[in-house]
Amino acid sequence: MRREGSPFQGLSTVFVKELADHISSIRMLMLEFLVVVTAMAALYEAISTLRQNTAEDPFLLLRLFTIDRAPLPSFVAILGFLIPLMAIGLGFDAVNGEHNRRTLSRILAQPIYRDALLMGKFLAALATIGISLAALWLLVIGLGLIFLGVPPGGEEIARSLVFLIVAIFYAGVWLSLAMLLSIVFRSAATAALVSLGIWLFLTVLWPMLAPAVAQAIAPADPRYALLGLNDPATAVWTQELLRLSPNDLFGEAMLAVLSPTTRTLGPVFLDQLRGAVMGAPLPFGESIMIAWPQTVGLVAGTIILFAFSYVLFQRQEVRA
Amino acid sequence: MSDQSSHSRGTAPDPVIAARGLTRRYGATAVVDAIDFDIARGEVFGLLGPNGAGKTTTILMMLGLTEISSGEVNVLGFNPAREPLKVKRRVGYLPDAVGFYDQLTATENLAYTAKLMGLARAERARLIEAALSRVGLADVASKRVATFSRGMRQRLGLAEIIMKRAEIAILDEPTSGLDPQATLEFLGLIEELKAEGVTVLLSSHMLDQVQRICDRVALFKAGRIVLMGAVPELAVKVLGAGFVVEVEAEGPGIARRLAMIPGVTQVETLAADRFRMTAERDVRPDAARAVVAGDGALRRLSVDEPSLEAIYARYFQTEATGDVRHAA
Amino acid sequence: MRALDAARLAFALVLLGPAAHAAEAVHDIKGLYLMTDYPAVTVRPGTTTNISLRLQDYGLAPERYQLSVAGVPNGWTATLLGGGQPVGAAMPAPDGSVALQLRLDVPAGNDLAPHTLTVKAEGQGTTAELPIAVSLAKELPAKLSVKSTLPSLRGSPKSNFDYTLSIKNDSGRNLVASFSAEAPANFETSFTEAYGTQELSSIPIDAGQSKDIKLKVRPPTTIDAGHFPVKVNVKAEDASASTELALDVVGEPQLQISGRDGLLSARAVAGKQSSIPIVVTNSGTAPAENITLAGTAPSGWKVTFEPATIERLVPGKDSEVQALLTPSDKSLAGDYQATIRATSRGESASSQFRITVGTSTVWGMAGAGVIGIALLLMLGAVARFGRR
Repeated sequence: MRREGSPFQGLSTVFVKELADHISSIRMLMLEFLVVVTAMAALYEAISTLRQNTAEDPFLLLRLFTIDRAPLPSFVAILGFLIPLMAIGLGFDAVNGEHNRRTLSRILAQPIYRDALLMGKFLAALATIGISLAALWLLVIGLGLIFLGVPPGGEEIARSLVFLIVAIFYAGVWLSLAMLLSIVFRSAATAALVSLGIWLFLTVLWPMLAPAVAQAIAPADPRYALLGLNDPATAVWTQELLRLSPNDLFGEAMLAVLSPTTRTLGPVFLDQLRGAVMGAPLPFGESIMIAWPQTVGLVAGTIILFAFSYVLFQRQEVRA
Repeated sequence: MSDQSSHSRGTAPDPVIAARGLTRRYGATAVVDAIDFDIARGEVFGLLGPNGAGKTTTILMMLGLTEISSGEVNVLGFNPAREPLKVKRRVGYLPDAVGFYDQLTATENLAYTAKLMGLARAERARLIEAALSRVGLADVASKRVATFSRGMRQRLGLAEIIMKRAEIAILDEPTSGLDPQATLEFLGLIEELKAEGVTVLLSSHMLDQVQRICDRVALFKAGRIVLMGAVPELAVKVLGAGFVVEVEAEGPGIARRLAMIPGVTQVETLAADRFRMTAERDVRPDAARAVVAGDGALRRLSVDEPSLEAIYARYFQTEATGDVRHAA
Repeated sequence: MRALDAARLAFALVLLGPAAHAAEAVHDIKGLYLMTDYPAVTVRPGTTTNISLRLQDYGLAPERYQLSVAGVPNGWTATLLGGGQPVGAAMPAPDGSVALQLRLDVPAGNDLAPHTLTVKAEGQGTTAELPIAVSLAKELPAKLSVKSTLPSLRGSPKSNFDYTLSIKNDSGRNLVASFSAEAPANFETSFTEAYGTQELSSIPIDAGQSKDIKLKVRPPTTIDAGHFPVKVNVKAEDASASTELALDVVGEPQLQISGRDGLLSARAVAGKQSSIPIVVTNSGTAPAENITLAGTAPSGWKVTFEPATIERLVPGKDSEVQALLTPSDKSLAGDYQATIRATSRGESASSQFRITVGTSTVWGMAGAGVIGIALLLMLGAVARFGRR
């Protein structure tokens, strides 16, 4: 039975209201503070490292994103760690919060469909993260201009914009997941706990577990071990398993986009390097092509997780 | 009590809501099981029944917020399963224990609803202000809802319905949890709505309130409407009669005289000077005449209007014994 | 026995050298002598001849001798030179000699009658006379000759043309022959020893002997094909000789390889054949025949050419060939080096191409497809569960 009207009626109203809520919320303020402080620390280290090594580098600006000096990880690595936290913070009580405040049925009694409510919430949270990341991006460019004194080239800007877009989709995956859990669990605390658990598992535990699982699936040939080499089969398995984590996908995509000399993200065999011109930066399009599968993973993950939450939410009863 | 009492049960001349065989099933169990009813314009209609009897599900089906398994319902000429937006634009709904966004003010909360309604900015401000002053919240309009009491929230919910200029107000347990004063104020507001010609659908388990303001009631039990009609009609049907008149008088043969009054079905002698008559109509004038005519001294004459509570209790009591089942 | 010993001694003395022998002889003679090596000479009319004379004093006191030439025919000029100047008297030291030269200017004429000139040196009582018989001849035997065994060589503009010349000194004297070559402009010429690399400009040749030298001619590499004469002149004192040599320069193809518009970079996709236009240019002077193309690429790559050979390429023209390059499907994205060679007989040219390997857009499309499927799933969800 076809219902009348657009499923997106009221979407913009929900979007604007949720965006205003997020931006003025203390929770968002705290998350922003956390991200900015750690990112600034990483940037400070990067800038001081770059100012010491005045090597000629056509991609000086991009080095700001990727350079790391112990004990701080690079700017991109910090964002890879903190973006999920932001997304979870914005999404974990999206739906169950409405239930618990008993506002859901009142809002849905207005002339809108649920579609608009869920999509509006999702897009508003994504826009909030997008705004924060864009601000952070401008901050990096600005600091680079001030302290390195090198105007960024067109390709650097393009690559860093790709970074921005991929980062937003990376946030999208975690946001979709958090919203899914906010639909599944009626208690916001449970949803938050489960989201954070998944986050910790995928970012901290999974990188340790994946090699072990790969060993179990494809045990390393002892002949390789004798030579002190890694079994390529095991290495491939390890990498494929690691890629189940959005964190890894984000890291790989960023490696390809922000380090233009990256020629592949998989294990490299020696005969692939024969005749290769080393150290030459890849054209922009080629770097994008290398990062493309990872980006696709993040985009498709965002959409599929959202579709899943959407179906669950649509099938859910309004009454508490 | 009202002119609608003369209509036969279930039908109304100008129905704003008409349900036919409305059913909602979850798996094999029917939460709402083939109910029929009509609600006339301007009527206050009560939905009664224990928790889980299907009242809220019925309401949600009328708003298109839950699927209709079979049957149909028509709200203001629209099918909520097909055109829920049109229905929701014209119907105000105050859910059970309504909630608002605590961090926003009363005005902001209503403004959000108004934007969802698609009201223009100027109209929005005017309507919100008017609605808030109608429910007596004008002086806290710019306070955050977090500071509001339960009663204020309920009134804010009503203000939302007023602001929407809804033709039908659906109120789900609007007075539960309110103190008596707040309840009275709230019922007053409902009567004001009725006076403006708004059709009110009220779900409650507070029988005395329902009885006070409802023109007609529908009694839900396990997903079915087991009784529907004006309260006096139901009294006749369930209790056998609608009126119980107590007479306190002294005199000879009063019981006999009272029994001879037409329409009286039964006379009980409670004490030497106290009698309880059960009648189909208000027989107080006749009773007074009868006492006086028999040289009796009439000390007190009181009538018990048919109590919904009595009907409710009686009905479920007979039901429990496996007696008549009034299919809706 | 004693006589034999003396004979042996005499033989040894003879072997010891003419100086000792002469010194012994000096003591036998006493007086003034005017001497020359060749007292009878043949002279060509119209030339100038120098005749070396020596005024020898054996055991006389130093004295001034008046010099004169008698019997000079009419029209002839006879001048006595000493130390390069005309002289009228000489004064040799005791047991010493003074070198003189008689310069004879013989006018051109048909009178070929022989004459005898007498050179006189007259002092106080001592006089020396030397008659010199001068006969005239129209042609004199050559004094120098130069000959090449292979006077005409054929080669490409890039090759060296080496001529072996043999110079013979037919004059009676030891000569120092100097040589030069006349070649067209911009030809490089150099003379070297026959078996050596040292460059020479002159060489001493004993009388009656001959010597071999080598002439190396290097034409400019840009020269067109043709026949070029080179003339070699050899000179020694008044004698000279020359010979004509020839370079027969045949044209030569010269190949160059580049991409279209001179590009040496190209793009390719891993695992997929892509065609790179290659321009083969013949900048040489002769047509190149049967040019074969070959490529050296990283392992696992395939390089073929379409067409695989060029039948003929006229000088100054170019021809485009498609290099069909299939990078290994395991190739990484980014730059690889590949060398492409064109070979025609001895001539070859090669160029290094930088091939930027791109990832197949198939995967890009597949990715877009995955996103598309996800979006379709979302749309399906909206269609199925939407509007509630």
